[in-house]
Amino acid sequence: MDENLLATAATNGVVVTWNLGKPSRNKQDQLFTEHKRTVNKVCFHPTEVYMLLSGSQDGYMKCFDLRKKDSVSTFSGQSESVRDVQFSIRDYFTFAATFENGNVQLWDIRRPDRYERMFTAHNGPVFCCDWHPEDRGWLATGGRDKMVKVWDMNTTRAKEIYCVQTIASVARVKWRPECKHHIATCSMMVDHNIYVWDVRRPFIPSAMFEEHKDVTTGIVWRHLHDPYFLLSGSKDSTLYQHIFKDASQPIDRANPEGLCYSLYGDLAFAAKESLISSDSNRKPYIGDRRHPIFFKRKLDPTEQFEYISSSSALSVFETDVESGSMDWFVHTAKQYALAGRPLAELCDHNAKVAKGLDRNQVAQTWTMLRIIYSSLGTVSSTNLNHSMGKGSTALPLMNSFNLKDIPAGLGSESRLDRSKGESRTENILMDSSSTLINNEDNEETEGSDVPADYLLGDVEADEDDLYMMDHENPHAEEQEYSLPQEAFPLRHEIVDNPSALDHLQDKADSPHVSGNEAETVSLTPVESFSLISISHSLYENRLPSDFFNPIVRDTLLFYAEQGDVQTAVSVLIVLGERIRKEIDEQTQEHWYTSYIDLLQRFQLWNISNEVIKLSTCRAINCLNQASTTLHVNCSNCKRPMSNRGWICDRCRQCASMCAVCHHVVKGLFVWCQGCSHGGHLQHIMKWLETSSHCPAGCGHLCEYT
Amino acid sequence: MDWGSRDRGPRVGAMSSFCSFSPQVSVINTVDTSHEDMIHDAQMDYYGTRLATCSSDRSVKIFDVRNGGQILIADLRGHEGPVWQVAWAHPMYGNILASCSYDRKVIIWKEENGTWEKTYEYTGHDSSVNSVCWAPHDYGLILACGSSDGAISLLSYTGDGQWEVKKISNAHTIGCNAVSWAPAVVPGSLIEQPSSQKPNYIKRFASGGCDNLVKIWKEEEGQWKEEQKLEAHSDWVRDVAWAPSIGLPTSTIASCSQDGRVFIWTCDDASGNSWSPKLLHKFNDVVWHVSWSITANILAVSGGDNKVTLWKESVDGLWACISDVNKGQGGVSAVTEGQQNEQ
Repeated sequence: MDENLLATAATNGVVVTWNLGKPSRNKQDQLFTEHKRTVNKVCFHPTEVYMLLSGSQDGYMKCFDLRKKDSVSTFSGQSESVRDVQFSIRDYFTFAATFENGNVQLWDIRRPDRYERMFTAHNGPVFCCDWHPEDRGWLATGGRDKMVKVWDMNTTRAKEIYCVQTIASVARVKWRPECKHHIATCSMMVDHNIYVWDVRRPFIPSAMFEEHKDVTTGIVWRHLHDPYFLLSGSKDSTLYQHIFKDASQPIDRANPEGLCYSLYGDLAFAAKESLISSDSNRKPYIGDRRHPIFFKRKLDPTEQFEYISSSSALSVFETDVESGSMDWFVHTAKQYALAGRPLAELCDHNAKVAKGLDRNQVAQTWTMLRIIYSSLGTVSSTNLNHSMGKGSTALPLMNSFNLKDIPAGLGSESRLDRSKGESRTENILMDSSSTLINNEDNEETEGSDVPADYLLGDVEADEDDLYMMDHENPHAEEQEYSLPQEAFPLRHEIVDNPSALDHLQDKADSPHVSGNEAETVSLTPVESFSLISISHSLYENRLPSDFFNPIVRDTLLFYAEQGDVQTAVSVLIVLGERIRKEIDEQTQEHWYTSYIDLLQRFQLWNISNEVIKLSTCRAINCLNQASTTLHVNCSNCKRPMSNRGWICDRCRQCASMCAVCHHVVKGLFVWCQGCSHGGHLQHIMKWLETSSHCPAGCGHLCEYT
Repeated sequence: MDWGSRDRGPRVGAMSSFCSFSPQVSVINTVDTSHEDMIHDAQMDYYGTRLATCSSDRSVKIFDVRNGGQILIADLRGHEGPVWQVAWAHPMYGNILASCSYDRKVIIWKEENGTWEKTYEYTGHDSSVNSVCWAPHDYGLILACGSSDGAISLLSYTGDGQWEVKKISNAHTIGCNAVSWAPAVVPGSLIEQPSSQKPNYIKRFASGGCDNLVKIWKEEEGQWKEEQKLEAHSDWVRDVAWAPSIGLPTSTIASCSQDGRVFIWTCDDASGNSWSPKLLHKFNDVVWHVSWSITANILAVSGGDNKVTLWKESVDGLWACISDVNKGQGGVSAVTEGQQNEQ
């Protein structure tokens, strides 16, 4: 190879060779003016120093021997302009030529009359091609269709084995020395960057050089066997030598993983497999192992895609019912009763729902609320009977209640409580007053003190009273039913009911509260705080349920903070006025909007509507009215009323005339949707008692629904 | 959607083999996406019925994953480079999906009469667009896009197929990797606004970038201003996720970084000025994604070792790992299943 020999081609069709070794200032060596139009490419033979090949816009390729004045042979592509010519590196006589019409031709330099083979490689011009330095059958081509294709020429038909899609038309392709699958490309417009692709990974370049500020016009690897240095020239008048380790690697920026929490608590997770087995993947490419900056991976869909859900198993270590799946949310939303029944029933129902879903804490909260806010008959007759059957006093009654409320599926700790509770009546009580589990101590002191205190000192109830309670219970329940049937029972029921029986029940309830709370307490400090106040209440008599409001508020805040806005809103609705004032409007509104949004995400439209309807927030209530429009026809001209008032803009008459009394209706106006006539509600109702025809005399058989 | 119609079979079956007292993660579905290259993002739509995936192979695919199935609904081609991220818009605007790509483009796709079409293409970035995120629906149709050119673009739909573009240039030097909107209800606006008025939302979003910073942006008089600069990470921030605001009016942001650390940022005061970081965990590898559960009480973290962990804040404010996908049987079986499927 002659290091001093240089060949250039010009737009006027001239091919010039320069000998840099010449002593004189004029280095020009040879001048060939055989081409008629622009010469797009010149190419030296890889081994024969004097053999030069040119390809021109005029459709001809010429082979020059630099020792002669004229071309040795001329090849006619017989199609369009030649964009690139390249001697095969391995086959002495072969060269490839690419054409403006998308074809690639292979020639034997000994046979100028006809190409050996031809195939269509691209849509539109093929701007460049490059023979693989090692694999003699491989030819890479790049075209205006933004694609780089690798062809296997060993077979009888050229076979496309790889295809890389770039973002701009491909001006130059150059195989990277020593790296079998790597190829550098640059574009002639739009994109100024130089990319190095791994052809097996056609979608993302493995390396990228971003230095040029204008179009890159040429790229070349500096040495035949050095894969680290790349030279490039550009229209920005710079020449760069790029060192490979400076290249930016887009794949490094790429997230190899996708992660998404679904609505239902499912987790979608996409990850690439190559991370796990990257080592085994890397081994086959020994040539590249030295270059750790290169990203190696199998091309084929090695991606695995996992779609994972976390189960909703209950843990005793965490209060983790809602850890993963959101099924509980949907169930609860569907089954909760929020209105239409007495408070106690609502609470009972909801507690049952919550318990059914293994949400014991919520269930206890509902039970607690019932006890706090409904005065009478809170202990169901079955419970009472149960305790009666045991033939014990008020304390076993509480106990049995508690037993019933502790769900079977709880952890061992609570089971322990239960078993102890069975044997010792006071157990639950002390458990509530102190969240510790040191049963023995409490049992003696507090546990026995408290019940004694209230039984004797406060209420002075004895066993007879308790037995009587059973008989009276049906009445009590009825009473209870009659009271809350108004939408929201009054808050001060407890205080207003002076009978001893009520007191007893009220008292009996308080320990229930604490007993129930014990479960919750052991899990959260918020609850334990509230517990203390409840315990205190044991010593005071005639507490209004108002007293508990701060505690309930704290409870709701706690739930909301835990992400269980459902419980917060449901309690808010069920308790209505009782608790509403305790929590500021904004927070309530926030809870409501959050809950409604969640319901809508779960496509629980009916429930969301019910919540909107039942909400006491003005801002929420009006949600339902926001998008309702009324379409009204003028009763005179029967055309739709467009403007807002009651004057029809077509017939200029007031449309809201009563068809019966012929006065303008102020207030309730009813009209028939069929004939648009109507009037005062009372008048129309009266009219329709006697006649089914329209009072306006239009003959329409009016229908009102 | 009727919950009962979901196919619970696989989940129950998988669960039965686990100890019922420890939280476990099991595979309920392995989606064969037939993507030809790495998958970079997967997003569930608002109702959890559709899954959009995007890949290096330039395509965006949408699957119907109802009833445990996986039906390919659409294969969206239009990007000329790897697609990094997809984002679903709120369904009140129709079925709209945004995707961003290495080709510097953001494409907004819309379903009309059952077919997905490109409805808008934004080409205003000078480099790869790494992240897209739709604003809360209350603000209208607004998309935030973070790009490697360091800028963040905000595309707002103004009707009639027109989009208005606002650009925060040089939001993060070297590049922006992630954007995430604050939920529409922000404590400040809640407390300051009288209830009778329609709340005047303060629009905020968080972004994470190659300058190792998490930044919080706030709109003031139509202009986006940098409100906070949160410094804690020592390498590129890979993902930020603003927690859904359900429950208490506390703002929470999770951020993860190349340095392996995940921070939880919380802000209690209404003005949004004092953010305090809490280190969730230091992983040994890059952490790519953080994702909040719908009620914001569980954080899923995915790391460079193909591991997903679930974290939950305990009562005393400490974050505890409640589940480890890779370690548990679920994760391992998922891997083997995946490999078998390919072979």
